[in-house]
Amino acid sequence: MLRFIVQRLFAAAITIWIATIAVTLLIHLVPGDPVRIMYAGFQTTEAEIEAIRARLGLDQPVWRQYFMYLGRVLQGDLGHSIVGNQPVLDTLLQRFPATLALTVSALVIAVVVGGSLGFFAAYKRGTAWDFGAMTLAIVGVSMPHFWLGLLLLFLFSMTLGWLPVGGSGWRNLILPALTLGLATGAVIARLTRSAMIDIFDQDFVRTAHAKGLPKTLVLYRHALRSGLVPVVSMLGLQFAYLMGGAIVIENVFAWNGVGRLAIQAVFARDYPLIQGFILFFATVVALVSVVIDVTYALLDPRIRYGT
Amino acid sequence: MSAPAEPVAAAPVAPRRAIWALLRSPSGAVGLAIVLLLVVVALLAPVIAPYDPYRMASGPRLAPPSWDHWMGTDQLGRDVFSRIVHGARLTLMIGTIAVGISLTAGLLLGLVAGYAGGWPERILMRLVDVVFSFTEIVIALACLAILGVGLINAMIAIGIASIPFYARITHSVVLVEKNKPYFEAAVAAGASHLRLIFLHLLPNVIPTLIVVGTLGVSTAVLAAAGLSFLGLGAQPPQPEWGFMLSSSRDLISGAPWMMIFPGLAIAITVLGFNLLGDGVREVLDPRQRAR
Repeated sequence: MLRFIVQRLFAAAITIWIATIAVTLLIHLVPGDPVRIMYAGFQTTEAEIEAIRARLGLDQPVWRQYFMYLGRVLQGDLGHSIVGNQPVLDTLLQRFPATLALTVSALVIAVVVGGSLGFFAAYKRGTAWDFGAMTLAIVGVSMPHFWLGLLLLFLFSMTLGWLPVGGSGWRNLILPALTLGLATGAVIARLTRSAMIDIFDQDFVRTAHAKGLPKTLVLYRHALRSGLVPVVSMLGLQFAYLMGGAIVIENVFAWNGVGRLAIQAVFARDYPLIQGFILFFATVVALVSVVIDVTYALLDPRIRYGT
Repeated sequence: MSAPAEPVAAAPVAPRRAIWALLRSPSGAVGLAIVLLLVVVALLAPVIAPYDPYRMASGPRLAPPSWDHWMGTDQLGRDVFSRIVHGARLTLMIGTIAVGISLTAGLLLGLVAGYAGGWPERILMRLVDVVFSFTEIVIALACLAILGVGLINAMIAIGIASIPFYARITHSVVLVEKNKPYFEAAVAAGASHLRLIFLHLLPNVIPTLIVVGTLGVSTAVLAAAGLSFLGLGAQPPQPEWGFMLSSSRDLISGAPWMMIFPGLAIAITVLGFNLLGDGVREVLDPRQRAR
């Protein structure tokens, strides 16, 4: 088990390392002069431009810049944002709890709603219930997340007046979490259904039924447990998508997380902030997938011994 | 994190039989109908649209749906229906260009990696896995940070962002095909590398990629609408659906039609490509039909 965890951590470290290279190259791929683009909205003299270039290390050869950047990153310094001149890491950490609250509550909603819908559809396979549940799921998959968000906003905030339109309290979390959770739940419903159908066809389920065990015991003890394994294995990827989806949803509901910050950074061409965001995002996703992989290995011993 | 790229295991089927089979599957028929409708609307947009999509004050501002303006008008008095009809052209263009980029590059990467084997394969696929884990939206944001905002750049960004996905799928199919007797026979007969890749592997990868590419159009359309919604894609006055949604945001309570119809257009388009993709998969992979 320890070897498995070390292997997974090593893979995560490689991912983060490649992200540092990608992030350094990013600024060099910008057509034109990145410093002039970043400071397009500011009053700057030639001398100031050169001073900024030197401060950001952009006058050095690329390999040297990379090692300088890597050295600073290892010390926890992601540089300063162009807009507002704030330390990038502090800004990201300050915004991150909001994004985490959103993604975790959305994940819970997605697993509960999507998992039960998929389980129910598989149980009622071939009936109108199954067709109805899967129609709902494919409509959910096809709806743009942000449109679902706008519809919920229209219904619950504007028409019924139950929930606030935007802000940062827990009541403001309900709609964005519901939006992101339902959208992801549609994907999870489809995955769960096909995983459960495979399980229902297996010999051990038939045996359990045949030896006269109560139906609910077979369903929950035998079938659901094994059916959850492939679903849990997909959660790492789903979490990455949730983090990605949060970028858009935070902007719909003016939820002040890292996603909203990232979009503002792209608009302002705030390269230190964009670089920091990408590195931060890659790190979080890599670490969460290690946690999920380890959980998965605890659930299914075959994984531990297989790799 | 491994293995979301599930090989579709598609087999070549005679074209005419395939179309009949597609029409017999409910999802395939509905999907094909929606996609064909979208193509017709896009081609005949100037004939179908009752007004110029860019002309302001085609009617009163923020007028609700009526006989003159089926989907109402926006805050500049432009006809929403005409803008949605013209938006179909942009949507099809986005889908084609983005999927074209990711499909071509992903196909080449996957073919080369899978064919080469050994350490080039390990390094290439490891890199693809890492980039894949960054998620499409973050890669697209990085591309837009480099290229700057705009609809064309958004299409390129989405295309680039999905390359790892197509590379993984192609790679997984190539691994299966490489071990089949016909391929080993071709190797034994002394076929050249290019011949093996393009005459033997490629035709067997294509059915799977047709399925994935069809489903990929819906992903690309959703992603582009999302970027335009954030203001990073289409710019005013382009009648792009995602952008129309973002300009409706502050007017939802007074003019919900500005929000409802473009969203519906996106959802129906994406649904169409999803159903068509599912239908094509059923035709190409008989195992799925039992489900």
